[in-house]
Amino acid sequence: MICDECGRPAAIRFVEMVDGEMRLMRLCDECASARGIGLSLTPLAGPLVSILMGFLEEVGAEEPAELQGPVCLGCGLSYKDFRRTGKLGCADCYTSFEDELKPLIRRIHGSTRHTGGIPSEASEDVESIREARHLKLELEKAVRHEEYERAAELRDRIRSLESTPRKEDDDGDV
Amino acid sequence: MGTFEQMLATPPSWLDASGPTSNVVLSTRVRLARNLRGVAFPARADRAGLERVRDRILAAASAGNYLAGALVLIMDESSQSQRQILVERHLTGRGFAEDGHGRAVVIGDRELVSVVINEEDHLRLASLRSGLQPMDAWRLVDRIDAELEQNLHYAYSSDWGYLTSCPTNVGTGMRVSVLIHLVGLVRRDRIAQVLGSISKLGLSVRGFYGEKSTALGGFFQISNQMTLGQSEDDIAYTVERVAGQLVTLELEARSELAEKGGRKVEDEVHRAFGILTSARIISSDETMALCSSLRFGISEGFIDSVDLATVNRLLVSTQPGHLKCFDARDPGPEQRDRMRADLIRRELASGSGA
Ligand SMILES: [Zn+2]
Ligand SMILES: [Zn+2]
Repeated sequence: MICDECGRPAAIRFVEMVDGEMRLMRLCDECASARGIGLSLTPLAGPLVSILMGFLEEVGAEEPAELQGPVCLGCGLSYKDFRRTGKLGCADCYTSFEDELKPLIRRIHGSTRHTGGIPSEASEDVESIREARHLKLELEKAVRHEEYERAAELRDRIRSLESTPRKEDDDGDV
Repeated sequence: MGTFEQMLATPPSWLDASGPTSNVVLSTRVRLARNLRGVAFPARADRAGLERVRDRILAAASAGNYLAGALVLIMDESSQSQRQILVERHLTGRGFAEDGHGRAVVIGDRELVSVVINEEDHLRLASLRSGLQPMDAWRLVDRIDAELEQNLHYAYSSDWGYLTSCPTNVGTGMRVSVLIHLVGLVRRDRIAQVLGSISKLGLSVRGFYGEKSTALGGFFQISNQMTLGQSEDDIAYTVERVAGQLVTLELEARSELAEKGGRKVEDEVHRAFGILTSARIISSDETMALCSSLRFGISEGFIDSVDLATVNRLLVSTQPGHLKCFDARDPGPEQRDRMRADLIRRELASGSGA
């Protein structure tokens, strides 16, 4: 859900009367408080907004979910919007829309796996992910061949690789 | 730090015809698309967020060796004509020049490297070299990228690689484009067939300024389509190999043209030179077409009183934005055609062995 005013993730939905017509609005906290509604509701606006919100739940129910498709939790972009603009909103879109993007990316690039450069700060993590993936394939093979001793050994190595603490992201401004 | 006027007064190095196979390939560009981790991509960021991103990237650029003394242009503070000049010099796309907050461009010495900030992605790092040299251009941007990375954290996933605003750039974020002059293949009527097979090899073809329409004067841009699933070296190598084959085909076509056409072709080249050195009014399209003939004539040895670099520079300096900068008032199309003719005569008179 995106704010109709500024395009950032919206926090509130309500119905507005414009020239005698009801209009569905979605606003973020900032734009809502700029209009005098939102979290710090004035006593007067309070009941009105909650009545409208109640009404809205019904309106919202009529808007089929599959029309919007999935929505990115990182930036509020809907997959439908992405299809319209061709531009993703943030890095999280790649996980939020993974199922939809995979076939699309395969069509564009003929591949869905990056085999190029790795940022130096990420290289350790990526290497251990790749190593774990490789070991998992070997584990499957070991189990298939009933080599249980080897399988147990592989399982322990995978566990230790996957439990290695990842580096914290140090970027504050999300 | 250089100024915009200094940049304008110094021809970009990619036009100087010093690189390999410069008689066919004007230039090679390699660009990398990158985004900062944990920050919305430009299309979904607000003004304050865009400005924060811009300032972080500018700080990282000035901390490195390659871009420390570079020219920094803040787009919010640049004039319309400055923006147009950036497009004509192949430094930014048209969309970038139009609007958008928090945008900036960092331009290195003689426009060899540049960083475009907050276009579609947070940053696009590019190297523009003379002639056909994808590997060298790639190695240079890779070094600068590594340097920037010491101060910036990129959005990256082990599956998808570098994450970009548009999925067409995801993975390496790398686009290698070669600006190539295929006048011989156009004249021998083999261009459609040759360009058709190029797209089967995973490369795309566009015109001189990226437009999809027919390429004027036989100038084309060839670039890789896929950015995911191949290493950067492989991408650079593929473009180098395919462009190298095009160069061979083009040179064959040119000598056939010169042999079979004989005196007629020589006459045509000299007429083109004659118009360029004498005309008082000339359009942009006519300039492109005649410069194309002139480049062919120089390459085939029909003309030796002017060099390739001079003709290359004319392709950019006769564009409307560049002509406007001679006059503070917008001269309008008619006056511009006169200014263009004057400029061409001046440049060709002094353009031998520059
Ligand atoms: Zn808002
Ligand atoms: Zn997102």
